[in-house]
Amino acid sequence: MADITVERLTKRYGETLAVDDLSFTVDAGRVTGFLGPNGAGKSTTLRALLGLVRPTHGRALVMGKPFHELKDPVRAVGAALDAHDVHPGRSGRGHLRTIAAAAGLPNSRVDEVLDMVELTPARDRRVKGYSMGMRQRLALAAALLGDPRILMLDEPANGLDPQGMRWLRDILVSLAGEGRAVLISSHVLSEVEQTVDSVVVIGAGRLVMQGMLGELVKGDRRPALVRSPRADDLRDLLEAAGASVARDGRADSMHVHNASLEEIGTLAAEHGIPIFELTHEVTTLEDRFLELTGEGGNVR
Amino acid sequence: MRVLKSEWLKLVSVRTTWYLIGAMVLLEGLTAGLTTGLGDVDDLRKGNVSTFVIGTHLATVFMFTLGALLSTNEYRHGTANSTFVVTPKRERVILAKLVVGLAIGIAGALLYIAVHAGLGLSILASRGVDVDSDLVVNGYVGVGVGLVLGCLFGVALGALLRNQVLTIIVGLVLFLLAGTVALFIGNDVGQYFPGEALLALQNDPRVDLLSQTYGGLVLAGYCVALGIAGAVLTREREIA
Repeated sequence: MADITVERLTKRYGETLAVDDLSFTVDAGRVTGFLGPNGAGKSTTLRALLGLVRPTHGRALVMGKPFHELKDPVRAVGAALDAHDVHPGRSGRGHLRTIAAAAGLPNSRVDEVLDMVELTPARDRRVKGYSMGMRQRLALAAALLGDPRILMLDEPANGLDPQGMRWLRDILVSLAGEGRAVLISSHVLSEVEQTVDSVVVIGAGRLVMQGMLGELVKGDRRPALVRSPRADDLRDLLEAAGASVARDGRADSMHVHNASLEEIGTLAAEHGIPIFELTHEVTTLEDRFLELTGEGGNVR
Repeated sequence: MRVLKSEWLKLVSVRTTWYLIGAMVLLEGLTAGLTTGLGDVDDLRKGNVSTFVIGTHLATVFMFTLGALLSTNEYRHGTANSTFVVTPKRERVILAKLVVGLAIGIAGALLYIAVHAGLGLSILASRGVDVDSDLVVNGYVGVGVGLVLGCLFGVALGALLRNQVLTIIVGLVLFLLAGTVALFIGNDVGQYFPGEALLALQNDPRVDLLSQTYGGLVLAGYCVALGIAGAVLTREREIA
């Protein structure tokens, strides 16, 4: 059984269709990126999973059950929906204590999670003085309180500096390594590209694709970048062999489609053509994402 | 019990709570001191002592605001998300808020009476004014219960309306302006308004209203009705 199951989920707000017949699953032991442009329906889906909004049709299940049927929700799911969801007049520690109390957890657990997110030095300061990065850490600490099996984080990288990003990546990967299901949403691909193992991409409330990160960026679809002092000669040979070649204006480089790196290298060697560089062009998740969801599209 | 502890922590972990209670006690202590200290001794002897016990709408507004914040802060600051994820049985949260509102209301009322009576009665005694102890006890009981109900009214109305500013404005209108409206539409209906019921509960002799007990029951009735409506709506509504 998947830890998270979204089954033909539809959520309509008046005229607006926020989520449209969406189905996907999230498994334990890996970080899953929940990706889509702003307004694609990510937050609404998370809220449906957490029982905060009611599906118009379909189901959003956590460990096979609707959220409100979970016996011990805090130990099942830790969620961070918005880093601003804190009373600014409370200290970070005070904020966590209100949640820990409701969950029946001891104050010592509050200090543990504060330590995990490296917020101990600031724990007694009021949250109004926290930076965005500190608020994100506090939100993650709140999600971790119940030592949950599933983590759902909405835009956790938002507002983090590069060190913060690296820190978040490390902690999420290690949490998933402990066997948890980690679902993080983002509208900025580069934020999560190095963190996620699998992805669920949505646009306009619909599923665009679900799969492993590698499947999203299929190696064999990517063109090869070749640099050679005899680029023109090599181009003629490659084209004769059935590949398509595009030059980019630089004298020594070209982009080759429909030929593997091995084929290109062998062909060059047979004709004694020197090769300075032979590699796959980097297709970022970003490129693929825009390709799948439409550039700037789907924002309603 | 968990939810109760959480709600209590929410209340005592913000400074606003203490500012509101402090301001209420300070302001009303000052009023008590001024009316008894500067009032004409002959007037006070003639029985107008009762006026120093009553006239505490302002204190009730403070306690109402405290109660309203207890509910509406959840939406104002977005903590409703984590609150209702941790406690999916949302009506329990509202019930816990009402219990906490009751507790802080009682504490506020006792503190108010201690300061107000301590200061006012000792000044009166020093000026040689005898007070009708029945009247004073009655007055303070009414005022105390009014403060507690005011706080509960705030919690319940806040749970119903969610919006902080709206809740406080509606509360102010009901407690402070409703009197004018009540007189305009006639006393028969008007006396059942929350503001008028509060005056009756405080045994204000200046107006012809319900009896003290009925005034209290009417006000308590509002709290119960709003509390139930708030709890049911909170359970059914979406947290978006």
